[in-house]
Amino acid sequence: MTTTSQTATVTVGYELPTLTKEVGQRKIDAYSTVRAKSIHTDEAWARAKGFKAPLAQGMMSTAYVSEMMTAFLGAGFIKGGRMSMAFTQPVYAGDRLTVHGVVKETRPEGDATRVTVDVWCENQDGTTTAIGTASGLLR
Amino acid sequence: MPDFKTLTYEGLQVGEEFVSDTFLVTPEEIETYAFAVDDHHAWFFGDSPFGGAVAHPTMLANQALRLRHSRYIVPAGLHAKMEFEFLEPIRPGMRARSRGRVVEKYERRGRPYMVTEYVTEDEHGTVLVRGRFTQMIFRSETHTP
Repeated sequence: MTTTSQTATVTVGYELPTLTKEVGQRKIDAYSTVRAKSIHTDEAWARAKGFKAPLAQGMMSTAYVSEMMTAFLGAGFIKGGRMSMAFTQPVYAGDRLTVHGVVKETRPEGDATRVTVDVWCENQDGTTTAIGTASGLLR
Repeated sequence: MPDFKTLTYEGLQVGEEFVSDTFLVTPEEIETYAFAVDDHHAWFFGDSPFGGAVAHPTMLANQALRLRHSRYIVPAGLHAKMEFEFLEPIRPGMRARSRGRVVEKYERRGRPYMVTEYVTEDEHGTVLVRGRFTQMIFRSETHTP
């Protein structure tokens, strides 16, 4: 996804292209590092702790939002980006997440425009697993 | 030298400070992170608007999230909230370190939480990322971030 042509006409209410992520166990293992007694990487332990499967770290969802925002704003997210997320439901190994964003606000900041986006992740059942805002600088 | 007591809500003190080990950002680590989050942006592997490759901006977040492991055995904690400010790009060759401070602890609906503010810096003290996160402290024994 390119950014400049899209962001040149950013308006409140603009819906960012969604991003879909398959959260496989190997990805979780790479993200969290395989450890004993981990609810992320030790399936038996996760089940013993009452979870139906190993959990992805909530932080993985912030990476997905970051990918969406970098695709949208480019360098103005890598340097100048902000994010605030709450992890509202577990994400399990094998889940498929869809990342959404809708422009909430634009306002001047220095020689740029800060674009704030409502962001959230939904699992394959339509349950919101993480929600918050992310912003970056449009130049 | 830390004695690695098990982290408990009661024992945790607001104002406690943590420092991570130094992490060398290598192209291989950037690629591993790209695999983990399935994001293979061209800027991670070649030139970028910043001149040379940069890492995914959240790449060092686990260094911060694991700060408390530098002193405690950590009963598994679910991560409740995360805030980031990405101030400077993370580049291969940097030696990054995170420093954090417990700024709040509270109980809500019978569950204990801790709030940590942190910065991640390069070897010159330039702040790359500033953040704040809220973690729930499990009362039973496990060992995860």
